[in-house]
Amino acid sequence: MIAAALTIARVKLVLELRRREVIFAMLLFIAATIVIVHFALSGDTGAGNRAAAGMLWAAVVFTAVLGLLRTFAAEQEEGALDALLLAPIDRAAIWIGAALAQFGFLVVVELVAVPVWWLLFFQAEGPSIGTVVVALVLADIGIALVGTLAAALALGARTRDVLLPVLVLPLVIPIVLAGVTATYGAFGEEVGGLRPLAFLALYDLVFVALAWGTSEHLLGD
Amino acid sequence: MEPPVVTLTECSKRFGDRLALRKATLTVAAGETIVLLGPNGAGKSTLLRLVAGLLRPTAGSARIAGVDATSAPRALRAGIAYAGHRSQLYRGLTARENLELHARLQGQRDLDISALLNHVGLGDRADEYIDGFSRGMLQRLTLARATAHQPALLLLDEPASGLDADGRLLLDATLRAGLGTRTQLVASHDDELPARLGARAVYLSSGSIA
Amino acid sequence: MRSLGRLSTTIPLLLSTILIPLTVALAFWWTPDDIDQGLSQKIFYFHVPIALTSYAAFGFGAFSAAMYLWKRTEVWDLRSYVGVHSGTIWGTLVLLTGPIWAKASWGVWWNWGDRQLNVFLILFLYYCAYFMLRFSLDEGERRRSASAVFALLGIGLIPLSFLAVRIAQTLIHPTVFTTGGAAMPNSFLLTFVVGFAGMLSLMVLLISTEMRGKRTAARVLQLQRVARGEDA
Repeated sequence: MIAAALTIARVKLVLELRRREVIFAMLLFIAATIVIVHFALSGDTGAGNRAAAGMLWAAVVFTAVLGLLRTFAAEQEEGALDALLLAPIDRAAIWIGAALAQFGFLVVVELVAVPVWWLLFFQAEGPSIGTVVVALVLADIGIALVGTLAAALALGARTRDVLLPVLVLPLVIPIVLAGVTATYGAFGEEVGGLRPLAFLALYDLVFVALAWGTSEHLLGD
Repeated sequence: MEPPVVTLTECSKRFGDRLALRKATLTVAAGETIVLLGPNGAGKSTLLRLVAGLLRPTAGSARIAGVDATSAPRALRAGIAYAGHRSQLYRGLTARENLELHARLQGQRDLDISALLNHVGLGDRADEYIDGFSRGMLQRLTLARATAHQPALLLLDEPASGLDADGRLLLDATLRAGLGTRTQLVASHDDELPARLGARAVYLSSGSIA
Repeated sequence: MRSLGRLSTTIPLLLSTILIPLTVALAFWWTPDDIDQGLSQKIFYFHVPIALTSYAAFGFGAFSAAMYLWKRTEVWDLRSYVGVHSGTIWGTLVLLTGPIWAKASWGVWWNWGDRQLNVFLILFLYYCAYFMLRFSLDEGERRRSASAVFALLGIGLIPLSFLAVRIAQTLIHPTVFTTGGAAMPNSFLLTFVVGFAGMLSLMVLLISTEMRGKRTAARVLQLQRVARGEDA
């Protein structure tokens, strides 16, 4: 199962490397979102560590949704999804492979966005970056998992493009809550130690289990 | 894998308000070749997708070797090949890469892809991206993909469309090579195909087998 | 759960007709007024049971979804849909009564410190998405499978939302006011339990009635098809 998932993930990464459609869009989008939210919160609300934390997480989530819109695009062009469904592999591998690729895209985007975020907002004391990184990685896993599953659910819909954000955003609210709290902790606030990070890990585990159990049933009509 | 018996028992499929296949009953013996004939919209594609296990019947059943097609275990799926109206390939990959991916997913380590591509007349385009391929070339590649892993059950939906004369000869040869050694269901508009292959013809009209 | 006919609607009907007025009576004439919040605290006997019943409905929806994925019979898909449908309606009630209580008790329309309300906000968004998903897919296998999976994922979301809101509580939404806990004086507890039982009965009644309606409609559709000679 792992082998099949890795194979599928590798194909999707290679395709993106060649065409570079999604990654650049995500990079521009995350930058634009951070700027927009900052301007929207200008003044007292927009200053300070908490605002910066909020901006980062809001931007990450919306950018992730943008990337998710294209997640099965390559499979739909020529009906490759049929081939994947028929292949003698665990059906869960299809969804996990796609999720792995999405995770990869998110990480690449954040590798650029987080330093930029830092530069824009922290001239003096910044947050303890290790915590922020761990929180982002755990969150990316969760977002990739539920997002890819939601994308699979929305495959047959005519309104696929508007439907996907509607499906994913409520699901990732807990991730944002925990991620922002963890980021406050990175600034030295009292957040109950590792609890926000532990929550993110728990979220990932719960949804991996739920999604794995149900992904067998994501068939055609 | 032994060529399987395919059985459809009172198999119906509804899409919303439209009944695409109506109580189809058909038995294909192991190693037999069947040509599905009928006008557009008769239900040939639906029937093939039901046998492939890509669709779940609304009523009745579609079985491969006695097993429900939608819950075919992996070992059984390894022996099935289905080629529908779309090529099931990745546009951003080359012909070779597409076949390599397919081989890896099928668990085949030692597939001679170059030979396979030569056989279908695409040897000199092996390392080109398929989004530059013509319809006929895609069909040839699809045929290569379908037969690459020596399937015991071959399901082809109008495989001749877009093929030039050479391509059609290739298709005939491929089907003939499978006579008796694998179970084959081919949907076609070619009324003379059954005679050429010495295969049984099954006529579909408005979702019913005549 | 074979059709229990009249029983599945009569018993809940009787129970809810008795229990809900009883709850009102107990709440207003028997339980003492809360020292801090006075009369407006009474809504607690309705607000929280409605919330709990909503969870129960979502749970039933998820259970039925799992059964559908296992058995693949349409009736389980109907049950799952009705469960989620009912849960969402009641969730909407929670979101409507919450502000009323908040305004009456504390003078604000929305209390970000109320964990229950926050969780329902998330769930409301999620289950509204359920309907968007369901009705953007054509009727058939895919719609049923996708709805079932989404209903099941929701069950994971409920406890996780609670946890997340709790973890973020003190920082993101400073606790201004808290709701009553389980350590209640006996009279409060009894009224609460009666209220909960009443709401649950009402929920069962609504689900049974809606199921009856949907199954009849499905049967009519099937008979029409048979009459047309399609028979599938």
